[in-house]
Amino acid sequence: MKPSWNLSRRHFLRGLGAAIALPSLDVMATGTKAAAMPTRLGFFFVPNGVNLEHWRPTRVGANYELPRTLKPLASLKNDFSVLTGLTHNSGRANDDGAGDHARSGGVFLTGAQPLKSEGAEVRAGRSVDQVAAEYLAAQTRFGSLELGTETGRPYGKCDSGYSCGYSNNISWKDETTPMAKQVNPREVFERLFANEIGTEVKANQSERKRHRKSILDFVLEDANSLQGKVSHNDRIKLDEYLTSIREIEQRIDRAEATGSEHEDLIRGFVAPEGVPDAFEEHVRLLGDMMVLAFQTDVTRVCSFMFANAGSNRAYREVGVHEGHHALSHHQSRPEKLAALAEINRHHVTQLSYILQRLKATKEGDGNLLDHSMIVYGSAISDGNRHNHDDLPILIAGHGNGAIKPGRHVVYPQDTPMCNLFNTMLDSAGVPVGLFGDSTGRLRHLGA
Amino acid sequence: MLPEGGQRVPVTNVILRPILLISLVLVPVLGAEEVAELRLEHEDKFVPFLQQHCIGCHGPEKQKAELNIEALLENGKPKIEDRREWETILELIMAREMPPENKPQPSQELRSDITAYLEAHLDSFDCSGPTTAGTVTARRLNRDEYRNTIRDLMGVTFEASEAFPRDEVGYGFDNIGDVLSLSPLLMEKYLDAAEAIVDEALLSHISPWPPVQRFEESDLTPKGGDAVRIVRERYLGLYREGAGEVTYEVATAGQYLLRVRAFQDKAGPEHAKMAVTVNQELVAEVDVTAEGRQPEIFRLPVQLEQGKALISVAYTNNYVDSRNRIPELRGDRNLFIDYVEVEGPSSVPRPPLPATHTAIIPRQPQPGEEEALARQIFQSFASKAFRRPATSNEVDRLTALAMSVFEEDETTFEEGVKVGVTAVLASPHFLYRWELDDRQIESEARVLGGHELAARLSYFLWSTMPDEELTQVASSNQLGKLPVLRAQVKRMLADPKAKALVSNFTGQWLQTRNLASVHPNPETFPDFDESLRASMQQETELFVQSIVDEDRSVLSLLDADYTFLNERLAKHYGIEGIKGDGFQRVALDRSSRRGGILTQASILTITSEETRTSPVVRGKWVLEQILGTPPPPPPPNVELLEETKEALASASLRERLEMHRASPDCAGCHAKMDPIGFALENYDAIGRWRDTDGAFPIDPSGKIVGGIEVGGPDDLKRAMVQNEKFVETLSEKLLTYALGRGTEYYDKCAIDLIVEQLKANGHRFSSLIDAIVTSEPFLKRQRLPTS
Repeated sequence: MKPSWNLSRRHFLRGLGAAIALPSLDVMATGTKAAAMPTRLGFFFVPNGVNLEHWRPTRVGANYELPRTLKPLASLKNDFSVLTGLTHNSGRANDDGAGDHARSGGVFLTGAQPLKSEGAEVRAGRSVDQVAAEYLAAQTRFGSLELGTETGRPYGKCDSGYSCGYSNNISWKDETTPMAKQVNPREVFERLFANEIGTEVKANQSERKRHRKSILDFVLEDANSLQGKVSHNDRIKLDEYLTSIREIEQRIDRAEATGSEHEDLIRGFVAPEGVPDAFEEHVRLLGDMMVLAFQTDVTRVCSFMFANAGSNRAYREVGVHEGHHALSHHQSRPEKLAALAEINRHHVTQLSYILQRLKATKEGDGNLLDHSMIVYGSAISDGNRHNHDDLPILIAGHGNGAIKPGRHVVYPQDTPMCNLFNTMLDSAGVPVGLFGDSTGRLRHLGA
Repeated sequence: MLPEGGQRVPVTNVILRPILLISLVLVPVLGAEEVAELRLEHEDKFVPFLQQHCIGCHGPEKQKAELNIEALLENGKPKIEDRREWETILELIMAREMPPENKPQPSQELRSDITAYLEAHLDSFDCSGPTTAGTVTARRLNRDEYRNTIRDLMGVTFEASEAFPRDEVGYGFDNIGDVLSLSPLLMEKYLDAAEAIVDEALLSHISPWPPVQRFEESDLTPKGGDAVRIVRERYLGLYREGAGEVTYEVATAGQYLLRVRAFQDKAGPEHAKMAVTVNQELVAEVDVTAEGRQPEIFRLPVQLEQGKALISVAYTNNYVDSRNRIPELRGDRNLFIDYVEVEGPSSVPRPPLPATHTAIIPRQPQPGEEEALARQIFQSFASKAFRRPATSNEVDRLTALAMSVFEEDETTFEEGVKVGVTAVLASPHFLYRWELDDRQIESEARVLGGHELAARLSYFLWSTMPDEELTQVASSNQLGKLPVLRAQVKRMLADPKAKALVSNFTGQWLQTRNLASVHPNPETFPDFDESLRASMQQETELFVQSIVDEDRSVLSLLDADYTFLNERLAKHYGIEGIKGDGFQRVALDRSSRRGGILTQASILTITSEETRTSPVVRGKWVLEQILGTPPPPPPPNVELLEETKEALASASLRERLEMHRASPDCAGCHAKMDPIGFALENYDAIGRWRDTDGAFPIDPSGKIVGGIEVGGPDDLKRAMVQNEKFVETLSEKLLTYALGRGTEYYDKCAIDLIVEQLKANGHRFSSLIDAIVTSEPFLKRQRLPTS
């Protein structure tokens, strides 16, 4: 009963090198005249700030020289911009005291001050990816994809009186519901493409789907019967349940509407195995899943935590044996700063792989990277100071022409990061007022 | 290190620093009256302090961080109801984060007085008034509870920890209703899990009994040359003498029935004769009279022995005569076989259906009674799954769901029931434990219903659903009676399912679950491997289990003269004479330097760094988990301990830590944490005994919380045993775990009572459990207006 796509991961990786030749959206679009391609949004998080010296270009504008950390992106220099001067004011203590790492996770995509709590209530804000996801969801099978490499420390508090929910999630469905992320590439694959994989499964799938719909109707009625009998905090639980059920119902409807036009593409694909040991391979497999999801248009929005906020992973593969978080408190010591830059570069190398995969995937008259906007960065600037202004941020992709990358842009001190999100939402056609603590749109991004 | 731009404190101030500790060091050694005096004295300073340092930004005029301190006061005293806010304020004042550095700073002495007052005041809650039972938010089953509940409800093993994302943790535990959330991703996994579990537990099709195997014409081996062959892919045609043969494997000897379906082309004076043999023995020879492609079926009983049975169906009287003088005798007689069936053994009863199936679907319905049987099935199953009697509306809807699948999909009855059972497992009534408040009265606590109480008990002690006996007691409305309740608790604690309490509660209280994620550096600790990791965990679990099973004093958790070891761990501890992988109880004497959780490798390892011990983390762990007085988090922008080669070679860890905390921002808390950790310095980062750390001898002496001088681990254990905060902390943590909510200020009264009862009963573990399950917050529920 093992489906035939269960080949080795090596095979999978090798296959991907050539996988670029796979049919994609434009094949489906033949005959319909190259309509405008949808804009995809990616949000990549790295923890603990960066070594700014090796991150920040010295010159402004298009003719800047790539600093050491960004060198792995050399072949993509005209596909991304370095943004300097953006700030997450709500990442600052603002009288809440210590806990900058937890806040950096909670604020990264929400722009909202995370409530300092480790128990009864987690509260940040709705995240930009979810705002986009809700609007774009009707057109794809999944509203969004949440990925990460670390499930997170299971027990105890994560950071100075903040619940682990803040450190382990950047995507928030609403202000009290973090979106759990997936770390297992195989599970991501199976979830995204359950419709296309496995012949035996498919045989009784339509029956199963029908049954599932009856079950959803049934439990929805159960939940509705609880309305009015529950008090405040129970109602929050009930609402979570109702929201989840409705979302799954919509997904089934959407899957029926879109059919499984990518069946051949997916069936030809070798599914990844579980979670690989090596960080690099893990990030790349998850990145492949994102690219595949964008390519097949099962979702247009993805958030990805390269590591959790405050992560203390030791990147031994690049010769750094001390933990990342410990190193980020570098005390301006040269050897620590050097090790930190090494980690930053290691992360950027993985980003480069994913961006290249997007670029190598043809779509319409261009490629996926042309039709994407990918933000990459940290909500802490310097790990030693824990400051939340002057953040290290990149934006990659052309957003269907909305963005003209290839530059180093410096914004005035304390320009809200949310201004960038506002601009991205505009470009993706998501109508929204001011997002988070945004004060307007970011200038100098467009063509 | 000071925050950037901060003022440098004159060096002389460092000497005054210990005053900060007044609340932490002096209070415990003073008597109750003196504490009261101390509080009164400082009370005078409180409001002036607020006015001078706080109200300007956090008052009626301005509410920075949306905080108006005046609103948190009543008669010039902090309102106990606003305890959470006050605790945050207290923490910020203690950590010197407030007032902010650009504002006038209070003297260190005043800071200490104010925090001492606040701490004392927040602890003073009048328990003489009406009790407040508190509200527990509906609890989603966490992964352990889900797995156990599925085991008990469905008889299926489901590894929830692999299938579901991690549960959120609040107040140190993963069973807190407020924190356990549900995302669409998890709900999807619940649906997948429900389908998979139901598929494993229940059969969709029940094959007929006795079993029937049919051999079609193509399964029969033709014997007799070309004249025996398949015609029109439908029959084995025998045009001359010959046979069709097949071998049947007889699994069980017994009475069988052979069925042969055949017809003839009639010719000549006789009908076609068909001889059926098994292993060359004739079963019967019959005349096949049917003709014209209208086959008839022959039923031939036969006794079959175990093993191979060669079944042969032969045609024995071929006839061909096309030139007979008598026209009626002209013709060609042939025999055609459609199939051969073997049915049996009829003398053997049907082997039982899987127990998981019959536990839910007791039998197959007679035609027409499907709906009645479905109703009966769901009445029973939904009541178990929902941990209360299912309502008639629920049973009606489930029955309708199952019947619609059965009737509209033209599938089996069992398939219909399966869809209903799946719906139950996806229902909010199963996935959450609700305690519903139908009444509108808000202020008064209500006694829990029998089924609500039974669920609280079973998830507390077993991490699973109530069993049959507990459910019956709950149904009979007897569970609220204390003797009945106590008898049930006693029974439940003796049940093997109570192991869940040890692994889930102590694993999280002592944080030994974190063992799974520690990575001692392989270069520094080549000894550490998976077998040692598992052994460490096992020791602590067996040890705590023994306290439960033998109903010992909870104080022996800290100091016991025995433990459980296997060869691997005994060697690790330097204890001789233990052989094998199995664990055995080992008596400990002083020379072993072991006894109690503080000296167990599990705890010592999870409180260490990858390459070295961390007296700070060990101290913090003891303050938090044992004494319930977590130190505030470090102020922002502190320097971490230097770990360079030069630094490591320059002085012992202790000396370096002492230099590190010379900084006034750090000294206060580190003076509480570090000495506790130093007392355990003789245990290395994976819990081995040592006398030196690198080149430096270990100095385990110091002055710990309460101003007590300790000279090493034994003194530390003694001090912990004597410290009343331990029992209080354990009680509070166990109450948190039992209720699935964080404790509030009003729970202090319940906790005081629990501690009292524990003391009065020699601190026996059973009295702790008893005190918790008979406490107001456990037996009652209150709907609070603003929770």
